[in-house]
Amino acid sequence: MNEKKQQVSRRQFLNYTLTGVGGFMAAGVLVPMLRFAVDPVLQPSSKGDFVNVGLAVEDITSEPQRIEWQVVQEDAWNKSEVTKVAWVFRNDDGEIIAHSPICKHLGCFVTWEGSEDYPNEYFCPCHDGRYYKDGTNVPNTPPMAPLDEYEQRIENGMLYLGDPKPRGEA
Amino acid sequence: MKWIKADLEKYLQEKKYIDTLLVPLLPISFSNDPELTNLAYKTNLLTTLSNELERELAGRLFQTPPYFYLEGTERSKEIERLNEWIMDACKQPFKHTFIVTHDMSWKKNEQALTGTLLWIPSLTSVDPQADEYKTFIRSQVEQLVEFIRSYW
Ligand code: FES
Repeated sequence: MNEKKQQVSRRQFLNYTLTGVGGFMAAGVLVPMLRFAVDPVLQPSSKGDFVNVGLAVEDITSEPQRIEWQVVQEDAWNKSEVTKVAWVFRNDDGEIIAHSPICKHLGCFVTWEGSEDYPNEYFCPCHDGRYYKDGTNVPNTPPMAPLDEYEQRIENGMLYLGDPKPRGEA
Repeated sequence: MKWIKADLEKYLQEKKYIDTLLVPLLPISFSNDPELTNLAYKTNLLTTLSNELERELAGRLFQTPPYFYLEGTERSKEIERLNEWIMDACKQPFKHTFIVTHDMSWKKNEQALTGTLLWIPSLTSVDPQADEYKTFIRSQVEQLVEFIRSYW
């Protein structure tokens, strides 16, 4: 019985891998999902994980776009699904930048071109904080630091984001 | 900002920047079996909405824990207590108070409330995991942010 079971699963396994691309893709999807399921048990914090945010690299333009994705966040007592947000674009050097929307003043969400008065800047609705496109805080507005940048990785043409880090550390 | 220790520590430092109070207004009642799931569903939805709103405006908006009222009791009693709640909060330098609810019937008592009542349409049966639910939350939050900004 045991042996039979093993044979079937081995054949299934071969099937998966030999199907080629499909198999690889399935594995690519399954592995992160498994990690997602297992990780919280092994290490309570899911910090440092990169998540496929559902944005193809070819769709990233020089215009910052708002993207959202869901992650499970956990502290000692609660487990909750949170929506993460980033503003993603290609800068003049062709590098991909993913800004965290969290204002460095007191934490409201900034919006690209969020105020008609300040085109080409991030705007914070709470106390009129502003940032240039590269994330640098505009002098004489409340924020004292540039916007954080998400750690990033590209796999199979898709953008993966990790944790937001102060600029220069991502 | 939320009613949690870490946020309050920050609040005490920065209170001059945080001038807006958000009070989620929620009904509760165990008395009518067919209504229970419905009430819980709405509690969830309004909680998610106000949490999202708080997240976007965290630096200027303080979200209080929800105010629960007994569904079907006399409103005047609840209004008095709710106003007392808000007046107490306004010992801090809050300038704007927004009360969010799914319950249209509060509209009748709007004038009696010490704050701006915001009625938010509810869903009835969309699964919280469904895209429709998320899109709904997003669009409501966007509108609420715009609305609150217009008071600032
Ligand atoms: S929170 Fe952004 S300017 Fe104050």
